[in-house]
Amino acid sequence: MSLNAVRAPRTTPAAPATAPRPRLEPVASPAARRKPKLMYALVALGGAVAIGAAQIGLSLAITQDSFTLAGLSSQQRELDLRTQALQEDLTGLSSPQALASSAAGLGMIVAGSPSYLRLSDGAVFGAGTGSGWASTVDPNGSGAVSNSLLSSQAAGGAEATATDDEAEAASQAEQLPPAITDGLPSPTTR
Amino acid sequence: MTTRATRSPRRRTVVALAVILSILGAFIVRLVDIQIVSADDRVAESMHYLGAGTEIPGQRGSIVDANGTVLAQSVMVYDVNIDPKAMSAVESNEKNPPKRPWADASEQIAAIIGKTGDEVRAIVDAAVADNPDSRYALLAQGLSTEQYISLRDLDLAYLHVDSRETRVYPNGAVAGNVIGFLNSDGEAQAGIEEMEGQCLSPTDGERSYRRGKDGVVIPGSERVVDAVDGGTVQLTINSDLQWYMQQMIAEEAQAQGAQGGTVTVVEVKTGKIRAAAEWPTVDPNDLNASAPDTWYSKLFTYPFEPGSTFKAITAAAVIENAGVTPTSPTVSASSREKLPNGQVINDAFPHPTYNYTLAGALIDSSNVALSKFGTMVSPDVRYDYLQRFGVGTPTVGFPSESAGVLHPTSEWDDRSIYTTTFGQHFSVTAPQVAGAYQAIANGGEKIGLSLIESCTDADGTVHKAPEAEREQIIKPETAAELTRMLENVAVQGGNAERIQVPGYRVTSKTGTAEISDGHGGLKRGVYYTSMVGFAPVDDPQYVVIVTLDQPTRVTSSAATASAFQKAMTQVMKTYRVMPSSTPMDALLPKFD
Repeated sequence: MSLNAVRAPRTTPAAPATAPRPRLEPVASPAARRKPKLMYALVALGGAVAIGAAQIGLSLAITQDSFTLAGLSSQQRELDLRTQALQEDLTGLSSPQALASSAAGLGMIVAGSPSYLRLSDGAVFGAGTGSGWASTVDPNGSGAVSNSLLSSQAAGGAEATATDDEAEAASQAEQLPPAITDGLPSPTTR
Repeated sequence: MTTRATRSPRRRTVVALAVILSILGAFIVRLVDIQIVSADDRVAESMHYLGAGTEIPGQRGSIVDANGTVLAQSVMVYDVNIDPKAMSAVESNEKNPPKRPWADASEQIAAIIGKTGDEVRAIVDAAVADNPDSRYALLAQGLSTEQYISLRDLDLAYLHVDSRETRVYPNGAVAGNVIGFLNSDGEAQAGIEEMEGQCLSPTDGERSYRRGKDGVVIPGSERVVDAVDGGTVQLTINSDLQWYMQQMIAEEAQAQGAQGGTVTVVEVKTGKIRAAAEWPTVDPNDLNASAPDTWYSKLFTYPFEPGSTFKAITAAAVIENAGVTPTSPTVSASSREKLPNGQVINDAFPHPTYNYTLAGALIDSSNVALSKFGTMVSPDVRYDYLQRFGVGTPTVGFPSESAGVLHPTSEWDDRSIYTTTFGQHFSVTAPQVAGAYQAIANGGEKIGLSLIESCTDADGTVHKAPEAEREQIIKPETAAELTRMLENVAVQGGNAERIQVPGYRVTSKTGTAEISDGHGGLKRGVYYTSMVGFAPVDDPQYVVIVTLDQPTRVTSSAATASAFQKAMTQVMKTYRVMPSSTPMDALLPKFD
């Protein structure tokens, strides 16, 4: 392809129409230079300062938050540890063996057959015999279900009190029937 | 028009282009090969040099009972060690003397870990004597969290505490045989720990990063995959009831001079096992305190010939297939008889010849009368009934659970044709007997037994155990007749006075099994005795079976009476079952 093809055609601009020449006149006084608006500068500067301040503030807040967060999570770790420690203290103590052993220590027994009283009409269901003095099982006896978590010391202490209290309870039972001081016990009716 | 002059440079261009393109193509092929085709292999290979990371261990899940009481859980214990070299460096720093000199610190450490100051100093001195540059001396293992906190608060730079997971069973031996235990590597060895391993096992997480040449962590390459803790397994067991049963059976078995004993409690309407107690038992916290043969569950794994408890199943077969009712027809039976094929069958006690009703045969537990009733139907029918009542099918899929043994009728000989009518020549586990009686108590609908309530994932998703299978195995009327006869056994049988539960109408049936002596014979004079029953008769709620292994005080099944009575009483009380409100029907006649 020839370069001539892309060459811009040479054109002759048409001569502009000649306008009538304006008449020159002297200016009485130069137009007063407009005073630059301080306001705009102040706004721009203020905006920049505000943005900077906000950014500093935000980053401070974030840093502060991360400190708070670190503080709280270390506090949580500490509390978790305490919880764990306390739970460990409870382990074993919450077992049915420990409960039964302490109850026996207080002179309580595992009774036989239950009876039920219907409050609406006072009907008694079951044999209605009440419990005897003998427990159906002896939580501190030869069949005691073991739990190595209960420290031997605690178990020993409980056993000692159990035998004392049982003996005491038994002797009292023989001599003194339970006294009624406030009249016959009756259920509260509605 | 091409000329020689113009062709040559063009060809050169083409050739050059072709060479460049083919090289480029080769690069592209290689690039695709490296980046796409074998990318994974290469990344994996590079990770060998670049990757590094630490495992984040997850915690094994807990096992809880039906009420949420924790029966097994994983907790952290702590091992403390000391760096003797660092200690002496701190100690000999004269410019900046330690706040707590070693003499004082060692006393405080000792007080916390339960040793004397001399012992602690001796450990450190021994480590230094062994190796003057020693940087490790183990002071104590398995410390509690409280001890850990106290040690940490001493603020000693040379003291290091490592934590590790260990398994704790807060209720000790309560359900110990059922729960199982872990070995020292934390692998499940028995019981629920093994059976529900999939639910309990945690998925370990990982903290990984890429490493530069000098071991520098490449920024942004750190990835943390959190560990997922194991799920919580909820059992159907009630730990308070379980405790009572274990306590009670331990006392009873010892009082009866037995080798062992078990109690199983099953809820009639759901088939859920509420207690699975046995003695001797194990405290999984302290395996070494009991003999290794008590570490596993015998209840689910030991099959025995049930004996008379399965006379009720023979009765079911003849009621439904030979038109027998509790009162007619009658069969004549003496306490020792030679039956048509020449076999001699004995009853447990001597008695004159009676015309027994089916009810009477059960009440007196007459083997002779049952042999005669049982052979009114074909062995195949009786085999079918034994199978329907669960003989030969494991109950809950406990590890090493026995399915019992049920020989096909083709293997029944002249003697076992009769002995199978009174619970011999096949064997069952105690839960299988409970399952069979559950069907009778539940109007003939057998519900598969279950021990697992659910598995709850660490994120709280609950996976209920699959619904138990339900099948109507006998007609409701048959079940009602069996119940009535079993109540008559409880009231008119030999143990009537010893098994009364005041206020409740109960059923019961005893069973006495002969025990193999391990040399092809039978042990003489000792038996595996059992008693099974349910209550209250007017609306059966719970099945209880008690077994005693070779009681010696009373060798017969009467030995189990006291344990059965206590067990049933406690079950009624625990579940606040209302006492029976309707009186018992007229007593069934034993004889014609």
